[in-house]
Amino acid sequence: MFALGDLNLTYLVSITAVSLYVSTAAVALSAALGLPISLAVGFRDFYGKSVVTSVISTGMGFPSVVVGLVVLLVLSRSGPLGTFELLFTPEAMILSQTILALPVLVSVSLSAVQSVPQDLRDAAFAAGGTSTDIALLVVREARYGIVTALLAAYGRAISEVGSVLIVGGNIVFSDSTSFTRTLTTAITVEARKGNIETGIALGAILLALVLGVNALGARFRDRTPGRNGRGR
Amino acid sequence: MTTERPDAGDSGSEKPDETAAPDPAANGARRSKTRLAARSLGHGFGDGAVLEDISLAVEPGEILAVVGPSGTGKTTLFRLLAMFERPDEGTVEVGGDDVWDLPEARRLAVRRRVGMAFQTRSLFSTTVEENVSYGLRVRRSWSARVRDAVEGLFGRDEPSETVRDALRTVGMFDKVGRDAGSLSAGEAQRVAIARALAPDPDVLLLDEPTSNLDPRNTAAIESAMRAARDRGIAVALATHDMQQARRVSDRTAVILGGTCIESGPTDAVFESPDDDRVRQFVEGKLVY
Repeated sequence: MFALGDLNLTYLVSITAVSLYVSTAAVALSAALGLPISLAVGFRDFYGKSVVTSVISTGMGFPSVVVGLVVLLVLSRSGPLGTFELLFTPEAMILSQTILALPVLVSVSLSAVQSVPQDLRDAAFAAGGTSTDIALLVVREARYGIVTALLAAYGRAISEVGSVLIVGGNIVFSDSTSFTRTLTTAITVEARKGNIETGIALGAILLALVLGVNALGARFRDRTPGRNGRGR
Repeated sequence: MTTERPDAGDSGSEKPDETAAPDPAANGARRSKTRLAARSLGHGFGDGAVLEDISLAVEPGEILAVVGPSGTGKTTLFRLLAMFERPDEGTVEVGGDDVWDLPEARRLAVRRRVGMAFQTRSLFSTTVEENVSYGLRVRRSWSARVRDAVEGLFGRDEPSETVRDALRTVGMFDKVGRDAGSLSAGEAQRVAIARALAPDPDVLLLDEPTSNLDPRNTAAIESAMRAARDRGIAVALATHDMQQARRVSDRTAVILGGTCIESGPTDAVFESPDDDRVRQFVEGKLVY
């Protein structure tokens, strides 16, 4: 059987699967929440808009351990969401990663939405578009930036260590399958044990995953003709 | 103070003055019945008024040139006519209805009878065909749009005859599959006009459509304007090009300083203007 130091294939596959599940779910949630926020803030002028955008930008620098502590308090038995018993589950990790990925996604996609020229929105309006049609057009026009935002959010989520250690607990079952251990938290375990080579091997797997996700994103982003594409 | 010739556009009647316009029915073309009128329009930004007390109308089957120097409020006027925003004063009427008195759903329906092309490049980052069909797509039901999108994934999205016709009108049919980003400025403007024409509007607003374009593209756009007029569409053209206004328009309205100074048949406005400022402007002696 495949083994790398103390690692076996079951363990490797399960921590990779947990990493992918938690990060993908967190980015999906962030996108579901963040893209409408980007469109709403990007489309409208309102009192305090600059404060809102500053707060969003500040969120990109949230220390992950602080987010982990807050989520720990919220999900602990005496916390407001304690009745759901989510602490030390993958879902708790999804929540903390969503909080960390959301500002990245909103900030980058907001920038992309705001860079769509007003002339194009006017053209969509003049062609008979409703506000929904115009929003969809803006998403399409801003697709390069939005995919970049998704990739940046994914990068933030999958490379996260501090908060997932706190709210996930880094749990592995006795049969070597992971419950809440991810590639990043596994690397910290190996580093603490002095298994530097194993840690580097896990890091290589993590990098390969990030590279694969980025390649997929870039392929999707470049699929349709753009201002400088060749078209049909 | 506006000087209006006897057959100038805003007669105050609900019915179009069909005697003032060429008869498109003569060549068997579609006959529109919709006129677009502005009554006593006033609008401003901040403390400054951009437009004051402007009344004009564009009738089915005619080209109205709105001339005036840059910065005189032509674009603001056209944006009000296209219902981008509500005027501070006065009314915009399409087919006799004050558009801002209508419920939102009806206003959308009225808005969709008015097409517009802009001075600046405004093509979407996709193919020529998808640009031209945009107005048609947004008029379809969501279920039809989803079905179209699915068919598109399987490569069954041939350009419709409507899209082909609109592109033929502007002489761009051979570019139907091209990426809009690869077009020259003139070609892009022609495609933008095809996009405005494709849903078969009753009114076509063209805001400085040939600014900075070469003679070939300018001629193609002017030809498209005439074709639209001959199909009974009411065409309004904002331009600071006096020669173009004389070449293509049936009637002309002169705007100076945010006010309509004079309007009437183009030949009369250019050859014997009533207002001294208009005389100086059309002779190129009045510089703003």
